[in-house]
Amino acid sequence: MPKLSVRNLTKRFPVSGGPSMTALDGVDLDVEEGEFIAFVGPSGCGKTTLLRIIQGLETATSGEIRIDGKPVTGPGHDRGFVFQQYGLLPWLTAAQNIGFALEAKGIPPNRQGETTERVLATVGLKGFGDRFPHQLSGGMQQRVGIARALAIEPEIMLLDEPFGALDALTREILQNEMLGLTERMGKTILFVTHSVDEAVCLADRVVVMSPRPGRIREIVPIDIPRPRASLGEALRDTPEYVAKRHQLWNQLMDLV
Amino acid sequence: MQRSAQASADSKSAGEPEAASDPNRQRRRERLLQLGTLVLLLAVWEFAARDANKLLVAVPSDIAIATWELLLNGELFWATIDSMSTFVLGFVIASIIGIVVGFAMGTNRTVEVILDPYINALYAMPLVALIPILMLWVGIGFLAKITIIILFAVFPVIINTVTGVKNVDRHYLDIGKAFMASRFMVYRQIIAPYALPYVASGLRIALGRGIIAMIVAEFLTSISGLGGLIINYTNAFETAKAFAPVLVVALLANALTVLVQKVEERFGRWRRR
Ligand SMILES: Nc1ncnc2c1ncn2[C@@H]1O[C@H](COP(=O)(O)OP(=O)(O)OP(=O)(O)O)[C@@H](O)[C@H]1O
Ligand SMILES: [Mg+2]
Repeated sequence: MPKLSVRNLTKRFPVSGGPSMTALDGVDLDVEEGEFIAFVGPSGCGKTTLLRIIQGLETATSGEIRIDGKPVTGPGHDRGFVFQQYGLLPWLTAAQNIGFALEAKGIPPNRQGETTERVLATVGLKGFGDRFPHQLSGGMQQRVGIARALAIEPEIMLLDEPFGALDALTREILQNEMLGLTERMGKTILFVTHSVDEAVCLADRVVVMSPRPGRIREIVPIDIPRPRASLGEALRDTPEYVAKRHQLWNQLMDLV
Repeated sequence: MQRSAQASADSKSAGEPEAASDPNRQRRRERLLQLGTLVLLLAVWEFAARDANKLLVAVPSDIAIATWELLLNGELFWATIDSMSTFVLGFVIASIIGIVVGFAMGTNRTVEVILDPYINALYAMPLVALIPILMLWVGIGFLAKITIIILFAVFPVIINTVTGVKNVDRHYLDIGKAFMASRFMVYRQIIAPYALPYVASGLRIALGRGIIAMIVAEFLTSISGLGGLIINYTNAFETAKAFAPVLVVALLANALTVLVQKVEERFGRWRRR
């Protein structure tokens, strides 16, 4: 049984004074436990919408989501979400933002500190717990977002373009960290990105989506052996990487 | 490295005019300018009104002496205590009612639809018109004064709180939803902090209106407090003494505004400066 299965998922948004807008049309996808799935596709093809429905932030017009065979009806602590932007509460410190998720999960305050310290260390932010988001760089803020999702120990992590707003260098650093992190933890991960490189680097399978209406166009397996983290920059020179990057690039070019 | 940083800092300030290069000196000059204007104003007032009818016009030196007298005999002190205790109680009650009602309206559409027309109408109308009728119901004592202060102060708090609560960024609500925060957590940790600056500016408006209400109430209901002193000394043609409570009211209003600002800053530390 797949960890997550998406069946015939359709989402229509009402449009005032016109026909509704079909953001997702008959999306089918099975994700195995521990698998890293990357979603790529042109802007507006429904990547965010798909992730939001899986998280339970949005309801599908039709179709169904199952986790471990059980239908998903709303948000749950089994899923940890990392937002693209505005993902932290600006009036809470980094530690308090993580504490927010722990408190929401029902973990008593006296047991939050230890977890908070641990996840901050995991994302390389040891000692930054007292900082407010505006005192952190964009990359550090995204790390806090990832730390918060890790803190609730979800079975599935959903990341919506977590590195989208970052400069190329910071982005690559975080990609490498993400690689190490996910390979150590073996969580099931759904990861939206605009970057083909990022997708090939990180994913076991890349889902290519096409817009109007949002559909899955192709699912491309990436057979670069793991652990890839230890390869470092050399990863980007492996023949499989170069080939898959090329293939995906051409597919995306056909879509726009 | 250090030298080049130094150099660039220097060149930056060198580009500005001389006076701006030292912000402290600039500020001292501005303060001096303001102080000088004040002294000049008082001097002009003093000399222009010197020969006027003392019953109608007071000069600054007389006002200073009168204020000193009223301070010494405790009259000003007790009037301030009287006014402020009424005001603070009224203001606190108005704030609490305003925030609670504002929260209810901002989070519950039904409550908003029901209350909105009345609140807008009452906020816009000259509430002074209601005072005589109000006195029929609640008399002319302490209760009347409190009621008038609340009436004047509560609506800006409600209206601003509603605006703040309704404006909460959807992104922040999504965080609460994604992590399954309880309704209480969402109120306390997302909606309340977001609405706080709106509430604070409502409180600042309420402060001004509340002070007006306090004085008006002291004029129109049982004559007492600082407003009472103003009325009584004006009626007795002791114009200089009537100015003393006016001064106190002006100082209090400004001090309270600064206090609200400080509280707001304390809770708004997270904001980018
Ligand atoms: N709340 C909404 N109301 C109406 N239309 C919406 C809503 N959310 C998304 N849409 C529409 O659904 C389509 C898919 O949006 P979505 O945000 O999922 O795309 P995306 O693939 O994440 O795009 P991007 O790469 O730019 O983030 C878009 O055309 C968008 O305009
Ligand atoms: Mg998106």
